[in-house]
Amino acid sequence: MKEGVVFTLFLIALTSACDTINQLFLKSAINSLTAPSGNILKIAKFIFKLILIPRVWISFLFSIISLCIWLFVLSRADLSFAFSADSMHYVFIAVASRFVLKERVSFRRWLGIVFIIIGITIISFT
Amino acid sequence: MIKKRLTLKILILLIFSDILETLTHLLFKKGALTQDHLDINTVSAGLTFLGGVFSSPFLWLGLVSVLCTFIIWSAILSKIDLSVAVPIASFSYILIPLSSALFLGESVSLFRWIGVIFILVGVFFVSLSTKESEVSLR
Repeated sequence: MKEGVVFTLFLIALTSACDTINQLFLKSAINSLTAPSGNILKIAKFIFKLILIPRVWISFLFSIISLCIWLFVLSRADLSFAFSADSMHYVFIAVASRFVLKERVSFRRWLGIVFIIIGITIISFT
Repeated sequence: MIKKRLTLKILILLIFSDILETLTHLLFKKGALTQDHLDINTVSAGLTFLGGVFSSPFLWLGLVSVLCTFIIWSAILSKIDLSVAVPIASFSYILIPLSSALFLGESVSLFRWIGVIFILVGVFFVSLSTKESEVSLR
């Protein structure tokens, strides 16, 4: 592994972690409302109720932090490397869904996670 | 309610969202490249860097592109299931290295492509299993 790759991977892990926290807060806020069905008016009302929940603002804050770290990443790494490595958020989200949201994660999904980890390992050596 | 009929119209929207996502990251990369990146060791250097990037039109075009992607994506998800949409949308994992090579002059080695394929297969497995796990919850 080239020098600096470890630090870049650390930064990518940080943006992925922020993305995961962002998704968890958003999902938890959405879970507290009933899902809208059908017409645009109901969806608009749903979104209005959603943005009044503080957790949505926390989620928004984390997406801004994530964007800032992402810009640091892009300034020092190839886009083709950084975007591929950013797929580690799938890993974090699966783990967080399992242990924080207590969702069931299927065998096939864990298998997918293993493939993603192998892929990231391979590109980290290029 | 299971929504899974993938029509040509939705497929075109999905391809369009792939292209927009690729465009977003190309623009962000262009924005980041407008600044010197070598010595970001202090907080103030970091803030100067961010200030510079945020004053670049590339970044704002990128954010507009994010917004457009979000709107198109919402329209797609109102028509088909996430487990159908995500695997098709994950073609940006191919499009981005391809356009990085074409437009940014990055060299993407065969080894890196192999890694990308592994990631793509992984993303496929992760997203395809959505429905299976939803069904098992009920």
